Amino acid sequence: MSAVIDPTTNHYENTPPEAGPKSYLSDGYSIWSWLFTVDHKRIGVLYLVMLLIFFAVGGFLAGLIRLNLIQPSGSILENDQYNRVFTGHGVIMLFLFLIPAVPGVMGNFFVPIMVGAKDMAFPKLNIGSWYVWMIGAVFMVWAVLAGGIDTGWTLYPPYSTRSAHTNVVTGVFGAFITGFSSIMTGLNILVTIHRMRAPGMTWGRLPLFVWAMYATSLIQLLATPVLAMALMLLMVENGSQALGMPIGIFDPALDGDPVLFQHLFWFYSHPAVYIMILPGMGIISEIITCFSRKNIFGYTAVAWSSVGIAIVGFLVWAHHMFVAGISYYAALLFSLLSMLVAVPSAIKVFNWVSTLYRGAISFQAPMIFALGFIVLFNVGGLTGLYLATLGSDIHLHDTYFIVAHFHFVMVGGMVLAFLGGLHFWWPKMFGVMYSDFWSRMAAVLIIVGYALTFMPQFWLGYHGMPRRYPNYPADMQFLNVMSSAGYTVQLAGFLLIGTYLALSLFLGKKAGPNPWAATGLEWAVQSPPTTHNFEATPRVVCGPYEYSLNLTQTGETADVR
Amino acid sequence: MILQSTIMPEQASEMAWHVDNLIWFITGVCGVVGLGVYVAMLVFCIQYRRPDDRIGPAPTPRILGSHKLELIWSVIPLFIFLGFFAWGAYVYNMALHPPEDAPEIYVVGKQWMWKVQYPGGQRVILGQNALTFADDVGGAGYFEGLMVLPVGRPVKIVTTSEDVIHDFGVPAFRQKIDVVPGRYTTTWYLPTKTGTYDVFCDQYCGTNHSLMVGKLVVVEPAEYDAWLAGTWRPGPANRDKTGVDGSLAHQGRQLFMKLNCIGCHNVQNSKAPVLEEIYGTRRPLKGGTSVVADDNYLRESIRRPREKVREGWEPIMPHFDAAKASEEDLIKVIAYIKSLKKGDTPKRNEDTPAPVGAETEPKAGPTSAGEGKQ
Repeated sequence: MSAVIDPTTNHYENTPPEAGPKSYLSDGYSIWSWLFTVDHKRIGVLYLVMLLIFFAVGGFLAGLIRLNLIQPSGSILENDQYNRVFTGHGVIMLFLFLIPAVPGVMGNFFVPIMVGAKDMAFPKLNIGSWYVWMIGAVFMVWAVLAGGIDTGWTLYPPYSTRSAHTNVVTGVFGAFITGFSSIMTGLNILVTIHRMRAPGMTWGRLPLFVWAMYATSLIQLLATPVLAMALMLLMVENGSQALGMPIGIFDPALDGDPVLFQHLFWFYSHPAVYIMILPGMGIISEIITCFSRKNIFGYTAVAWSSVGIAIVGFLVWAHHMFVAGISYYAALLFSLLSMLVAVPSAIKVFNWVSTLYRGAISFQAPMIFALGFIVLFNVGGLTGLYLATLGSDIHLHDTYFIVAHFHFVMVGGMVLAFLGGLHFWWPKMFGVMYSDFWSRMAAVLIIVGYALTFMPQFWLGYHGMPRRYPNYPADMQFLNVMSSAGYTVQLAGFLLIGTYLALSLFLGKKAGPNPWAATGLEWAVQSPPTTHNFEATPRVVCGPYEYSLNLTQTGETADVR
Repeated sequence: MILQSTIMPEQASEMAWHVDNLIWFITGVCGVVGLGVYVAMLVFCIQYRRPDDRIGPAPTPRILGSHKLELIWSVIPLFIFLGFFAWGAYVYNMALHPPEDAPEIYVVGKQWMWKVQYPGGQRVILGQNALTFADDVGGAGYFEGLMVLPVGRPVKIVTTSEDVIHDFGVPAFRQKIDVVPGRYTTTWYLPTKTGTYDVFCDQYCGTNHSLMVGKLVVVEPAEYDAWLAGTWRPGPANRDKTGVDGSLAHQGRQLFMKLNCIGCHNVQNSKAPVLEEIYGTRRPLKGGTSVVADDNYLRESIRRPREKVREGWEPIMPHFDAAKASEEDLIKVIAYIKSLKKGDTPKRNEDTPAPVGAETEPKAGPTSAGEGKQ
């Protein structure tokens, strides 16, 4: 990767910002130089490695689900096995992939560089957050190995607190711990953005990815403690019953209130949806501008819509509970507020499309992912309106319509954005370029695969197929088989990505500092960056997307280097 | 193969029509907006593509945005969304508020079956439970019942659960309601078409969640009345289970005596409020507040009587937990309390032995505990 290799030195922590091309990757090779690093870039890579492993496990579980649903009576799994598999899929994908994915990898790696800083505000807290996350993950994996959890990732009591579910305490404790990691990362990014910006990097010149990360961190900081509280109460009720001294909180048999848990849970878990999607939206703003060579259309609108989503997102949680027996007036209020949160998302989509207008558009893999994001997220967002509308939600709630909707947002939206970001920043992170042709193929495969997997599920849901059914009426088989077929197409795409990205690390041709001729600060440093990113503190002179003037944020000519 | 040949699932209730109209209205509007976005994307991507697909600087106009456009595409969607909200609220309002005179059918969810109780005392069990339900249907193994409803007559469905949260959903009616332990939730149906329809449990409830399903049959009112009277019964398995065995209210009266509610809630020597015609009225509580005596309040007053104590009375009532009175028992007792008219409270006369084989019509004397639980 880098020309100068000095295996004897391991002074990564106190290396002065010496001139030279030594990258963060060649700054120490021992395992400890990675595990005890405080370099935000290395921490980002640590997150990336673990995330990809968890994503593979979660994806494998999704494959078991789809395989089982080929037959109406269930083809391979017993009911109890199926319940454990879909719970495992949900828990792993949400707590160990979607929530930490972009903040952990791209947030850690690029926010400091994009604001012109040498590291995060709290580097040790940063590596701490990774360890805390890993400890949480260990508990979750332990829960899975010890027999699994069969409550669904939503963990609704009293089902989840009946004492038979001993693994629930372990798994929930894992989720409880990962929450602290999320808080640490959020706090770190917030402070970095507030305090570490380079001279000239005003709020109006921040890249939109940074704005999105700001809004995300706000949610992580404010909502996660509520989840911690809810999970703690859940553990108390569950554990106290196992010990024979029942403390009733949620179970009505112990004078508790089961709907209270749903309020607490969704108070976090709805904003958590925005923790997952907002960073993705930020990535899309970066990619669309770069590959259409245009200034973002409506910078202020896109930036503030992120903050708007973060704030209004706190006020819509009970739209998950329209049929859960909440009061009629509460339902009206939450439906109304849910309509408001749809507006900023619509603003973003319109602005991205307008950015394409009169651009000079090229279709490398990141751009295909970004365009795919807009197409699929558009479906996911618009179908959300069916569920925010009270009258249609009473039919569609808890059916495959919901499953399709949130997969369009989470997978079609967030995962595509993650992949887009990974392809966009891969040359910066590792200094190598992957196959242009195969990456475009993979992007198309995955987009087609997503549509094929989840489009039929809207129909299934409209026809009433409930979620979390290992078997179903026989007349629903055709659409289920179609959905399973889509999974295999996606799988092909993911295997392809895994192959060429892995190969690129060893065989890929060297990438220059700015392979996309982009304008952000991260492209002003070498690829891969040095440990301290900038040799001298950069001076920012203009906004982040001056593609038509062809100026980087430091005022140089943006060109392929 | 309904799914493969039609776009629309079957509509079998008044609400199905309303919900479908709403869904297709949203689909139409979103379709136009969504397609508009796609067409714009497609046109831009074709018209402004780089012929050589190259990376690097290109002359493009410096367009920073337009306040006018931002305003347009914020305000217009907002009004469209508010339109969805208003229509949705209209339908939801309808779905939540049954006609006043609709008869109440009680549905008790239990892992993994539905126990349906009609006002006349008829019972139907939906779904299967591979574990222990000998007590409920008189045999182990697979059991299939049918819930019967009349076409063209509204019915109110009151649900509760014995264990975890379930959800009673009927796709053909476009209605579902969470079945929550510890409280009553309600919905209602106005079936518009005869036929057999699926009932699904829509809230995940454990191992056999997907087997907590059953069929609901909508029949002509005359057939329904015949079925209630025990002269017409669907399904061979149900033949001996759905006959008249005393109305819910009457069974409740028997429990009222058996559980010795009458010991205090009587007229001669009251130690607790007389319960005649209290249903639906506002009841003053100790501490100056008050509460409307609805199903949930009555239920709570039996399970946890000292939470809300009537003004002027002492909190002396014992708790009746699930071991003393099951959810089905509660439904019966509440049905009895609802039916109590002025002067109907039985006389408390512990010296008179209970008549054997009490009639459906309440008589002057109390029935004994020997009558037993159903």
